[in-house]
Amino acid sequence: MKVALFVPCYIDQFYPQVGVATLQLLEKLGVQAHFPAQQTCCGQPLANSGCEREALPIYKHFVNTFQDYDYIVAPSGSCVYHVRKHFDKLDQTDEVQHVRGAAYDLIDFISTVLKVETLRGAFPHKVGLHLSCHGQRGLHQANESEMTPVRDGQLRRLLASLDGIELTELSRNDECCGFGGTFCVSEAGISARMGQDRVADHVRHGTQVLTGSDMSCLMHLEGIVRRAQLPIRVMHAAEILNGLTA
Amino acid sequence: MSSASRNRILLAAQANKPAETPLPTVPDFGGEATAERFTAVLSSIGGTVVWLDGLGQLGSTLQQLFPEARNTASPLFDATVPIHADTPTHVLAEIDLAVLTGEIGVAENGAIWLPEANMLHRALPTITQHLALVLDHRRIVATMHQAYAQLPSTGSYGKFVAGPSKTADIEQSLVIGAHGARSLVVLLY
Amino acid sequence: MNHAIRADKFLLDADRTTWHDETLWFVREKRDRAVYAVPEFQELRELASQIKDHTLSRLDLYLQEFEAAAQANGVHVHWAADAAEHNAIILDLIRQQGATRIVKSKSMLTEECHLNPYLIQHGIEVVDTDLGERIIQFREEAPSHIVLPAIHLKKEDVGDTFHLHLGTEKGESDPQLLTEAARQHLRAKFLAGQVAISGVNFAVAETGGVVVCTNEGNADLGVNLAAVHIACMGIEKLIPRLTDLGVFTRLLARSATGQPVTTYTSHFTKPAAGKEMHIVIVDNGRTQQLGRPDFRASLKCIRCGACMNTCPVYRRSGGHSYDFTVPGPIGAILSPNIDMKKHRSLPFASTLCGSCTDVCPVKIDIHTQLYKWRQVLGEAGEIPASKKWSMKFMGRLLASARVYGLSGQFARQALRLLPHGLTHAASFNAWAVARELPEPPKQSFREWYQQQPKSVPQPQTPQVTV
Repeated sequence: MKVALFVPCYIDQFYPQVGVATLQLLEKLGVQAHFPAQQTCCGQPLANSGCEREALPIYKHFVNTFQDYDYIVAPSGSCVYHVRKHFDKLDQTDEVQHVRGAAYDLIDFISTVLKVETLRGAFPHKVGLHLSCHGQRGLHQANESEMTPVRDGQLRRLLASLDGIELTELSRNDECCGFGGTFCVSEAGISARMGQDRVADHVRHGTQVLTGSDMSCLMHLEGIVRRAQLPIRVMHAAEILNGLTA
Repeated sequence: MSSASRNRILLAAQANKPAETPLPTVPDFGGEATAERFTAVLSSIGGTVVWLDGLGQLGSTLQQLFPEARNTASPLFDATVPIHADTPTHVLAEIDLAVLTGEIGVAENGAIWLPEANMLHRALPTITQHLALVLDHRRIVATMHQAYAQLPSTGSYGKFVAGPSKTADIEQSLVIGAHGARSLVVLLY
Repeated sequence: MNHAIRADKFLLDADRTTWHDETLWFVREKRDRAVYAVPEFQELRELASQIKDHTLSRLDLYLQEFEAAAQANGVHVHWAADAAEHNAIILDLIRQQGATRIVKSKSMLTEECHLNPYLIQHGIEVVDTDLGERIIQFREEAPSHIVLPAIHLKKEDVGDTFHLHLGTEKGESDPQLLTEAARQHLRAKFLAGQVAISGVNFAVAETGGVVVCTNEGNADLGVNLAAVHIACMGIEKLIPRLTDLGVFTRLLARSATGQPVTTYTSHFTKPAAGKEMHIVIVDNGRTQQLGRPDFRASLKCIRCGACMNTCPVYRRSGGHSYDFTVPGPIGAILSPNIDMKKHRSLPFASTLCGSCTDVCPVKIDIHTQLYKWRQVLGEAGEIPASKKWSMKFMGRLLASARVYGLSGQFARQALRLLPHGLTHAASFNAWAVARELPEPPKQSFREWYQQQPKSVPQPQTPQVTV
């Protein structure tokens, strides 16, 4: 199994430790992932801004970079969703189709491909899970409150299997955090307000560690937590799962 | 000019419509067609169910339920005001209680089919202060699918009535009695 | 003015924003409970979607079938290409009656066509009879929601309005008492109405009849007391068969307010003896939208408002921030079809979270259409030039690993070295209005990776076992 690690641009630049944790976690699960040095970005920031045409060279670069791998794993469901859904703008060559199907969010890869549902280790904290909309509604990694009252999902199961962990039950299980890519600056007021409301739900229910599988939402939420100087630690799920102590 | 617009709209719709897709068959989803379910749902939306031992009890039951109703309209018992399709508005406006026959009850949502033929006047079921519908409990079906399947047609005018008139337009506070009947009683037999 | 600026105005009153958000979330939760209680709900959504797709794919034929059936029922059918023609037809019908007073139940189409100001300008008294509509009519405001037109108002606001217009006691804000005052006031209007205008929820091609759904009973009361009924409908209101109503009546109210069905589901097929019934069929941009493959699914909308109630942006920015008759996510995909320049900011008023698509009872891919409108706007030059240029620049930057690596290094250095006051100045950096920037690490991931031994060693003690 030839696995490539895709580290989205903002993780590469601002959260390298999340890339490191992803790589090491995969190793612990028996997967040697390779980081193709030519990689840059999936092109989502441009496309979400209405500049899909300008993003096409980035899409092609992405396909060229990753076409020889069986799987492409990224600690960000949003980028994966973009590759799967919006690379339809490219000519659908075998390579393009392969790359679209081979892109996986880290947690999705662990659950669906590696078929790992539980992990051994302890994480004795009260953990609030932030569901990324693209991971949940786009990649179907978790149940949606629009469809069912049952709160279930890949990361929830993995976390729930840890010793000593207590998962926060939020009033609104899966409301958007308000990041939204360039939305966070073009609609900064609403974006901030949504993030503040999301964080407040965690505060009300006692979250100590706020986590999720999409670093972009977490970057936004972390910015709000730090501005308000709240006693909440924001960690990507890869960091928690990689750092487990038995 | 309306006929020119008609042609323009139809031509544009014809030119711009997508390739034809099939019309699905709607299955009968089954469901619970019981008086219990009907009663529970109707109560939850502000209506009331009262059982009659038989139609003979109608007058006395209404007397108990609506002792203050002075102007009553109904083809089913000795009502005080005769109503027909030509009854003037000011007479209709004084009706306290209308008692009419419902045709079909829908258990999933508490709705009752009321065709024009049973209304005396089209405005009566909404202009009356209170409405009572008499319904044969054997005419309760589970869902709207089954209700529509049983209707031979919707006639000239007819409606499903589910509970009393209500609104939540002020701060989402539920208020019963917006413009239509302030209460709905379903008399099951 | 764009959506963000109008939203910022709404956000200034933080408590009111909280209240607005929570009130609509309450409706969303009611919707959820109603949906969970119907096991076949998702199947019904699929059926509704297919029925609407099918109807659009034969729209010209169904329109003619509907017209013929309606005419056979003794109903007069009129066709309006646009808002102006719609308004002129209605004024003409009112004048033919010699009428001066009309009552109107809720119709988003007549809002879209700005019928009220038109009729009033021509000397007609127009009374909106839906309570929410009447409230905003008194206040000379536009509806802020398609199902809950006055949802932006608190009961105290309504109390002030009714004190002014209906003479209720000053300071009275009890919804029960205010509603009773409106009932008394509107009863007089109903009794005096000469012509009644209603909207249409569904038009059945097979029967030629129209279906109107209300909770208040105002459509029935108005129509059945007036001599003339004028029903106004967009061409997309059609459904083929009577039995299709089984699907749509099960979806509409549950999606809209969480009720199992609206109080009144009224079928108007033939006029009462001695009275008249007219149906005005309106295009006003709809056939154009039908011709846009990426956006035609927006014509499946049954106007339940569920996408508004669930939209985290709508709940915090209010319906007026959209400045379009239909606000929220569905409005943001309908409005650019009407006027792309005016409404160009609306497809960007979304995080593309997809909740709107998930609640939509007819499965319109709303968030995908928002994304696609962004591309159309980008191509048409309707996004800010500065954004376009920076995106072009990013496109070149991100297509090359070498250029990207260098610029990343530069940005991180800048972020570390520049003072907080500069990097977080709101005038330069909208991110910083409420958020700290990430703390820039010394090394990027790729720099770290390059320093690792070629074959990365296994960790000494596996801490996680499967």
